[in-house]
Amino acid sequence: MSMVQFEQVGKRYASNRDALSNVSFALNKGEMAFLTGHSGAGKSTLLKLMLLMEHPTQGRVLINGHDLSRLRRQAIPYHRRQIGVVFQNHQLLFDRSVHENVALPMQIAGYSTLDYTRRVKAALDSVGLLHLEHCNPIELSGGEQQRVGIARAVVNKPALLLADEPTGNLDPELSAEIMKLFGLFQQAGTTLLIATHDIPLVERMGKRRLILNHGRMTGDIYGR
Amino acid sequence: MADNDIQASGASYHTLTVRDRLLNGLAHHQLVAVETLLKLLAKPMASLLTWLVIAIALTLPGALWMSIDNLQQLSSSFQSSGRITLYLSETASIQEGQDLSQRVLTLPNVRNTQYISADQALEEFQTSSGLSDALVMLTGNPLPAAILVEPPLGLAQHEIAELLKVLKRYQLVEETQLDLVWLERLQAILVLSERMVMVLGGLLALAILLVVGNTIRLSIAARVDEIQVIKLVGGTDAYIRKPFLYTGIWFGMIGGLMAWLFLIMLWAVLNGPVTQLATLYGTGFGLRPVSATAASTLILSGMVLGWLGAWWSVSRHLHEIEPQA
Repeated sequence: MSMVQFEQVGKRYASNRDALSNVSFALNKGEMAFLTGHSGAGKSTLLKLMLLMEHPTQGRVLINGHDLSRLRRQAIPYHRRQIGVVFQNHQLLFDRSVHENVALPMQIAGYSTLDYTRRVKAALDSVGLLHLEHCNPIELSGGEQQRVGIARAVVNKPALLLADEPTGNLDPELSAEIMKLFGLFQQAGTTLLIATHDIPLVERMGKRRLILNHGRMTGDIYGR
Repeated sequence: MADNDIQASGASYHTLTVRDRLLNGLAHHQLVAVETLLKLLAKPMASLLTWLVIAIALTLPGALWMSIDNLQQLSSSFQSSGRITLYLSETASIQEGQDLSQRVLTLPNVRNTQYISADQALEEFQTSSGLSDALVMLTGNPLPAAILVEPPLGLAQHEIAELLKVLKRYQLVEETQLDLVWLERLQAILVLSERMVMVLGGLLALAILLVVGNTIRLSIAARVDEIQVIKLVGGTDAYIRKPFLYTGIWFGMIGGLMAWLFLIMLWAVLNGPVTQLATLYGTGFGLRPVSATAASTLILSGMVLGWLGAWWSVSRHLHEIEPQA
């Protein structure tokens, strides 16, 4: 079964601008794919539809076989708990430590401190930031903040990981490292969809590539 | 639920049992309760204004209620001595007066009588009124002799009227006076004041709701980022609401405690003069302090109002905040 399935999805904003039109694709469980395209091509909108931050004006989006349009409002939080998400602007909270930021999804899901402390440390270790766990994220560099965001996205071991320009603030070396990390998540069974315009990096990874152009899917290239 | 089958695909997922969820939920309640209280106490000046408004809004009806409670106590102690005074004619001698007093005592529905001669009446008046100097200048005694008639407790109104009719028939009795009419008036005034306290209390409760609601609205506005992130990673409305509700409860509790303190201060300030006044009237009346029941009612209603105000505010504003990217 597909983890992600888009069926003739269209999204038109109130201003009559089509952000997405007639987009169809499917991602299998455990697959890793990149979403590329110029800025404004609709990459972020596509990710937002999966998180129910936006709703399609046409077509259906299915995650793990569930039609998102049928989800009641109260069920949205539980839907989002299955998806780890990394945004370019990190969305970290500066009133708490790095550790507490990463622990947030676990806390929300109802785990006790005892249950999640080790998981949080493991997630921070995987992005190489365990030594900074007691810092406030505001003291961290852009790249470090980005990696804290990634740790928070994976701490809950989500079945699906979405990332919007996760390497936007990082130098090439660090970007490569993050990509390697994503590759490890894939090996552990996670499905990944990563939006980026860093084409050389994508080409080096040799994974499947979905190309958006002005809201239409103009390419679906399978890697090696 | 969809998350069960999707999580099953994740590798080694430690699933939570219902018991785990309950216990962890309880622990989180505790954590949020303590955290919000500490946050408030860490910056007392920031919320002092809100606390004061709540405290004053609770003190006002509390103080009125306290006065009514005391007046009721006072009036009930009067009721037990709701007595009849018979003023005798000037021609009656002391012997005649004392005889009459004995005869009245044998009547049914009379518990006790007491004869007060004109001289005794003047003496009593001089000591309790503080007008002794002025009274010395009088050539004669303007006060009549009197008999105090005390009916048994709980005598019905028509029986008292019957007794009055009998007493009026004695030739020596010039005038009768029943100390009951003003008591009835006092009762009616007390009932009216109770109503007014209720109305005032309702209005002030509404004021507390608005004040807490507005304070919570501001703290929601200050935490929009946090709410967005929590929603993004799957926080439910209940989870987001929790700290705000606890903040509302703490606001109400601290306000209630302050109101209690205000009432104790009010009592301390007023008790001296009231006792003095009561002594002048010849009673040992003292202001009753704020009872434990009254204090806990005050604090509890503060907490309930704080919680309600916070709930109202959060449910109005929570839906407007959606995660952004």
